[in-house]
Amino acid sequence: MTSNKKSEHKDHFDCADVEKYVQQYLDNVLDEEKRRLFEEHIEYCLPCDKKVEFERKFKEIVRLKVKNLEPPETINSKLKDLLKNIQ
Amino acid sequence: MAEDRKKQTEFSKAIEPHLTSLYNTALRMTRNQHDAEDLVQDTLFKAYRAIDQFKKDTNFRAWIFRILINTFITGYRKSIKEPQKISFDDLEEFYLFKRLDETTELQEVSKDDFLENLFDDDIKSALESLPYQFRLVVLLCDVEGFSYNEIAEIIDAPLGTVMSRLYRGRKLLQRYLWNYAKQRGYIGDDFKQKK
Repeated sequence: MTSNKKSEHKDHFDCADVEKYVQQYLDNVLDEEKRRLFEEHIEYCLPCDKKVEFERKFKEIVRLKVKNLEPPETINSKLKDLLKNIQ
Repeated sequence: MAEDRKKQTEFSKAIEPHLTSLYNTALRMTRNQHDAEDLVQDTLFKAYRAIDQFKKDTNFRAWIFRILINTFITGYRKSIKEPQKISFDDLEEFYLFKRLDETTELQEVSKDDFLENLFDDDIKSALESLPYQFRLVVLLCDVEGFSYNEIAEIIDAPLGTVMSRLYRGRKLLQRYLWNYAKQRGYIGDDFKQKK
């Protein structure tokens, strides 16, 4: 059995798997099976759970702090004028 | 004539809700207001000329962002100073968490405090320090909320490339923020390196 095959048939996740899949987990792109294994692991592994929560928070902070601000008024009105007169 | 007017009004109506995101993405990519404004203007002209090629009921937001990004890459990228060689050697997962963990016996709350005490400007300038390919996918995913598939479409790259740039970009961002925090003395006495 190849190691690849093995990883496809995992019946549990260890800490290394959490590290490998954390970004996909937080982006909600893990398939159902991996998501289940991931959540099972962090449920009983407190250190991993803390790391995942920190990572979740980090993502949130980036989103909040880089959030979209209206362009400055001068630019905003220029762009809107442009839209009105575009051809 | 009336046709033109109708086309213009429809275009305007479709674009307006996205103007703020387009401008902010342009600003993060060009790093200055003047170029950001020009980039959005160029994008609007190009989009208007190409609007007949846009297929109704497909993703308009992704379409317009694709034009923005292409315009950036062909017209603006060269004038932007990119960082020198970047080393990805020590870029591990949970980079920031691990650095914080190594420095002192921190309570959970202190790590959260660290994140909350980062200034908007620190995060923005850390983001702007990322090489543009990485900056782009992090912005599109984490700020603009595009899916991996949409990003693949916008930057015209395979899904695997999107994922690897995104994951590396986020880790790099954490490394930059850690370095800022050290430089600016946010890491004070409470954050002394563990022996």
